[in-house]
Amino acid sequence: MTARALPLVVAVFVLILAQFTLVPLLGWRAGVDCLAIAVVVVAVRVRPGAAAVTGFLIGVLADALAPEAFGAGALAMTLVAYGASRLKAGFFEDRLLLSVLLLAGVKLAHDVIYVVAERRLHGLALLSQLGLWSPLAALATALVGAAVLVAVRPALERRHR
Amino acid sequence: MTRGARSDLRGDTAVAVGCAIVALVLLLLPPARRDPIAGAIRGSVMAPAVALQGRIAGTRRAMADQRRLERLADSLAQRNQVLEESAAENAQLRAVLGLQARLAWGGIAAEALSHPAYGEEHTRVLSAGRDAGVESMSPVVAPDGVVGLVSAVDARSALAITWAHPDFRVSAMSADGNAMGIVSAHRAGGAGRWLMEMRGVPFRSVLAPGTRVVSSGMGGVFPRGIPVGTVQRVLEDEGGWVRTYLLTPAVRPTDVTAVLVLMRPRAAAGVDSVWRRP
Repeated sequence: MTARALPLVVAVFVLILAQFTLVPLLGWRAGVDCLAIAVVVVAVRVRPGAAAVTGFLIGVLADALAPEAFGAGALAMTLVAYGASRLKAGFFEDRLLLSVLLLAGVKLAHDVIYVVAERRLHGLALLSQLGLWSPLAALATALVGAAVLVAVRPALERRHR
Repeated sequence: MTRGARSDLRGDTAVAVGCAIVALVLLLLPPARRDPIAGAIRGSVMAPAVALQGRIAGTRRAMADQRRLERLADSLAQRNQVLEESAAENAQLRAVLGLQARLAWGGIAAEALSHPAYGEEHTRVLSAGRDAGVESMSPVVAPDGVVGLVSAVDARSALAITWAHPDFRVSAMSADGNAMGIVSAHRAGGAGRWLMEMRGVPFRSVLAPGTRVVSSGMGGVFPRGIPVGTVQRVLEDEGGWVRTYLLTPAVRPTDVTAVLVLMRPRAAAGVDSVWRRP
């Protein structure tokens, strides 16, 4: 591991830790997805292939705690990480607002892919999840993600220069 | 886009597709194959997270339990307080009803309304007035004894001064009738202001601590035999011929919520047997 990657690894580790400690403690129905934030933080700074691998690994870790849909999280995270990295490289400037929009989009896309892939929800439950709870979770994730990006950006940018 | 960049992008896409295919394979694995893999991850890389989640779940349960218990304790404390107040009021009301029954006639039941203003300890507003037969200077009593005296009356309410008022006096005697004196409020601060003084007791009439003091019937307001208080100790000698005794009152005015106002004809007829000790 190079010294340049160290702040990124630390940020991802802290976010993963928060996902399994802070988020369950809050117990919100439309909770913040720290794993999605971690994936975006990495995806916008590495090549799409590396982003996809990172997304896959983080997804597998999350799936291990919900084995009924084992693989769904890995699939969703792989796709959104790759997509985010491609989008960032092709279209987005490095602006906070755009990153926040990207975060919300990533979380929403992740939930859609995850819910469809796991095939557990049907009918009204599926509609309420994708029409209400997922957008709310995307909003919460984007807001918290903005704060995280503001906090970690100086350290990450210093290393990039 | 240069050839190198296109080649890199193809490589990235190939990696992403590879990851997605592996994820799909994992998703389609039967439980018998899938669960050991998930278990291995949980038991190794994710073991700290699993342990943390267990502790977090316990903490959340404990927090929820604590909130529930706090709400329960608050609710019980509030209910208990209301019950205690209701029980005390009921006891007073029962006692007043018993007293009214023993009086047979001439007693007007009234509520002694509390109003948290300065002077409350000296005066109480009664819920019965002229319409109910209350007259000025009528004795106000409780099942335990003397409370005070009606000082002003209007149609539906009356104002009574309690024995703690500086102007209140009642002619009193020991229960056996051997010692006479005038009882008024003890002029002292702190807890002492809830005591009485029995002044002008002849030197030859010694009152032992614990002696009951009742109204003597002299003065024309309070009939004979209503409990006033109990002797605590000698307070002072006044010139060697008379003594002043400190009394514990039979009734503490701030504790009273229900009283009886004695009508004048009833007071004149006497209440000797009503407060007689069994």
